[in-house]
Amino acid sequence: MKNPAQLDLPQGTLDLLILRVVALGPIHGYAIAQRIQQMSQDALQVQQGSLYPALHRLEYKKFLAADWKPSDTGREAKFYRLTHKGKLQLESETASWSRLTEVVGLILQGPEGESA
Amino acid sequence: MNWWQRLFKADGMEKALDAELRFHLEQQVADKIRGGMTEEEARRTTRLEFGGLAQIKEDCRESRGTLWVASVLQDLRFALRQLRNSPGFAITAILTLSLGIGASAAIFNVIDAVLLRPLPYANQELLVFPVMIGRTGDTLPSSYLSYLDVRAQQRTFDALAGYSMFGRVNLEGPNGPVALSAVKSTDNFFDVFAVKPLLGRTYLPGEDQPGKDNVVVLSYEVWQSSFSGRTDVVGKDVQLDGSPYTVIGVMPMGFRFPLDAREAVYTPLHMNPSWAKSRGMHWMRTVGRLKQGVSNEQARTDLNRVMTDLARAYPEQETGHTVGRLLPLDVAVNSLDRFGKRTLAGPLGTLALAVLALLAIACVNVAGLLMARGIKREREMALRSAVGASRARLMRQLVNESLVLCFAGLLGGVLVGWTVLKGMNVFLVEAMPRGADIHLNLAVVGVAAALSLLASMLASVSPAIRLSGTDPNRALRAGGAGAGTGRSQHRLRSAFVVTQVALSLVLLVISGLLLKNLQSLLHTNLGIDTDKILTTRIELSKGRYAGRDPIATFYNPLLAKIAHLPGVQGAGVIDLLPVQAWGDGYGIHITGQPPYPPNLDMGAETRYVSAGYFDAMGLQLTRGRLLSPSLDKSENLAGTMVVNQAFQHKFFPTGGDPVGAHIDDDPKPEAKSRIVGVVTNVRQALREPQMAEMDWLMDEIAPKDRMQSLNSMALIVRSNGDLTALVPALRNAVHEIDPTVPFRTPATMSGIVSDSLTLDRLEGWLFGIFAALALLLAVIGLYGLVNHEVELRTREIGIRMALGSTRIQVTNLLLGKVGLLLFSGLAIGWMLTLALRKVLATVVEMHASHDFLLLAGVTASLALVGVLASFIPARRAASVEPVQALRTE
Repeated sequence: MKNPAQLDLPQGTLDLLILRVVALGPIHGYAIAQRIQQMSQDALQVQQGSLYPALHRLEYKKFLAADWKPSDTGREAKFYRLTHKGKLQLESETASWSRLTEVVGLILQGPEGESA
Repeated sequence: MNWWQRLFKADGMEKALDAELRFHLEQQVADKIRGGMTEEEARRTTRLEFGGLAQIKEDCRESRGTLWVASVLQDLRFALRQLRNSPGFAITAILTLSLGIGASAAIFNVIDAVLLRPLPYANQELLVFPVMIGRTGDTLPSSYLSYLDVRAQQRTFDALAGYSMFGRVNLEGPNGPVALSAVKSTDNFFDVFAVKPLLGRTYLPGEDQPGKDNVVVLSYEVWQSSFSGRTDVVGKDVQLDGSPYTVIGVMPMGFRFPLDAREAVYTPLHMNPSWAKSRGMHWMRTVGRLKQGVSNEQARTDLNRVMTDLARAYPEQETGHTVGRLLPLDVAVNSLDRFGKRTLAGPLGTLALAVLALLAIACVNVAGLLMARGIKREREMALRSAVGASRARLMRQLVNESLVLCFAGLLGGVLVGWTVLKGMNVFLVEAMPRGADIHLNLAVVGVAAALSLLASMLASVSPAIRLSGTDPNRALRAGGAGAGTGRSQHRLRSAFVVTQVALSLVLLVISGLLLKNLQSLLHTNLGIDTDKILTTRIELSKGRYAGRDPIATFYNPLLAKIAHLPGVQGAGVIDLLPVQAWGDGYGIHITGQPPYPPNLDMGAETRYVSAGYFDAMGLQLTRGRLLSPSLDKSENLAGTMVVNQAFQHKFFPTGGDPVGAHIDDDPKPEAKSRIVGVVTNVRQALREPQMAEMDWLMDEIAPKDRMQSLNSMALIVRSNGDLTALVPALRNAVHEIDPTVPFRTPATMSGIVSDSLTLDRLEGWLFGIFAALALLLAVIGLYGLVNHEVELRTREIGIRMALGSTRIQVTNLLLGKVGLLLFSGLAIGWMLTLALRKVLATVVEMHASHDFLLLAGVTASLALVGVLASFIPARRAASVEPVQALRTE
């Protein structure tokens, strides 16, 4: 039942995606996974096994903070929000990611580029 | 939140994590239901998608930087739970480790205090005892005059001091008289040790001269015990032996010289005026500090140069005296003889080996226990690894369990070590000069602990590696205990048992020999009936008897009083108590015999006794007559004496009659001392052969000199009744005559004998205890092994019996294995014993022919105990019901 269009995430990019999603406003883990899937148009499906360790890692590094609040269904859920430190991290990571893709693209599409 | 908050909030944390994941799960299920699935299907697919929940949680903890402390604590909690579940295993392992660690901590403490810790002096490597050798080749103290010459003419010492330890003095303290050791020395005594006093000062130059010499330096102990540590004690006058002395200083804690002088005070020499003038009176011991950079040999040459000059100047008195050796102080301190050839290092070193062997046995045993347990836990481990525990994680958990054991063992060990040291305290103080300095030293405990931690880690790592590598597939499928890994571990455990048996044998052999020696020493024929004799030392205050005759005013009335006490059969006094003290003698020559070869020891011990001494001691007259105050008087021109049978054998080997013979102790024929009687022997020292002895009546000393020689005498009382019941009456008798005499609780002669064997008893007991523990551990190991073997082979045994093996055959099969193990253990043990023979000789000599029975007995009983230990599980094997055994699989 795996979608053939699904991609494997390069190491470390999941953290960036999570920060980006959380930057939109407080959100719980399940919704983060949903949102990433949506935003990637189903190309990315985040496994719980990597999502939660990543969330806890980011919380531990103080990029994220969390509060327990009632969700839309009324049940208590753990809502993550971006800290100031996380915001800075998101900015710098986004910048370096853009720079990286740009550079990689340059090389891959360069005039001498033979088929990769 | 920092890490410790996390630790303590761990519980809340876990709940939160659980809730978070469950929320996710529920949401996903809800979404799926909304998407059209049935609830059941939604739940099933969600669970599948989720994978291992425990795995995710573990990863979350991990990524939180869940610090290793947290997981260690978790492991520890888990380990404790595991151990609580198998108390038998836990108790055995902890007890084993405690005993091993405790025993080694205690012994290493003793070694540290006695051999390793520096002496309480500055520059101890420069301190030496000159050992002077006299004409007969025996050691000889110095005379005061030759000491003064040597001190003035030597060039290699910073300080060379003379001292005597004759003394005990009575200090009139606030709580009545106390008898203290008195170290009397020349003025430069403290310069040798270069230790500054805690309070006040030490001697000034020239302060050892009469007139200035009523000064005393207190040891720390005396300052504490008799002066309650008052700082205003310096400058105070105190009464020593009835004379006033001024306290000039207090030495710091730990300073003692000689090291066995406990409760000591230090005073200038205060010698007998005649000794100060006599070059022939050898009484003074010397100790010196070498100049920096001077070798021992240079200094010895230097002293011998002076001795040669002295021999030229005073040929009569000084010829033939040489300095044979400069005995370094740190060697002399632990010397068991007068020459520093046998020292405590030997027995203590062997003891250390023994304790290491014990520790090794303990570790091997724990390793064996861990393995046996490990095999039972193979399934558990397989299960853990199947649900996602990594190999490293399993290793860590296993090692943690051993850590818990080890810490519990360490605590137990400290307790055991402390108890052992406390228990041995009296022994130690008596047996070794530095015994009083032995306390439980945490640094040493630390070393012992580190050692055993290391050892038990090693012991646990190998089972841990095996276990953590368990292949879950195979182990889970195999059903019962995995036979494959079981086999190779079984071989290892067999090796362990062989090691234990071997080491136990070595310890048993040593302790057997030691205890046998001890028994023979304790039952040495001393020539007296030690159970009928009570003795105590009487010390008279010199000041009180100045100008008085101690015989007329003290000893005679005392002995008369005691003789009339009920049950008393005899009472007497002697200056050196047999068994306890010896070494006061000199070379003699029987008048009329040809000159003795120069290197032959023709010395005889000398003693002063009261007339009643011989009867009190139970010595029989074999020739001539005993001494009597009415015949043997101080006014007689020539001395008269009684000799012992050893004297007769030594000086009249061909059968001449000693009675009536004279010795050449005076140039004038009419003043030569005469032998009037021969009595049976009494041993002067337990470990020495019987020595020749001459006993003089104390009344023969001129009244004015009596106090000098007779101020300290051993009282000997013979009774056929209850000896201890006599004590209060003796105390009254002494105090009725002189209330200033400190009364020391009398001991029986057999008590004195066993006291003089303290070190032997200590050794014997320690080795005995170690050997018993080793035996116990070996038996536990063997029992465990056979038990385990039976467990592993139940099925095989069932098949054998189903095929027609009898119970006896099954038992024999197992016992045959045990026999092989025991035999290898014993063989290796014997090889080890023989290989270590040289090392062991410092403790005990082994004579194959002489000790054959003992050695064979020890070996046989070890084998027997081994077989017995394995008999119970072997019988259980034999009682296996074949049908049942086959069905359980």
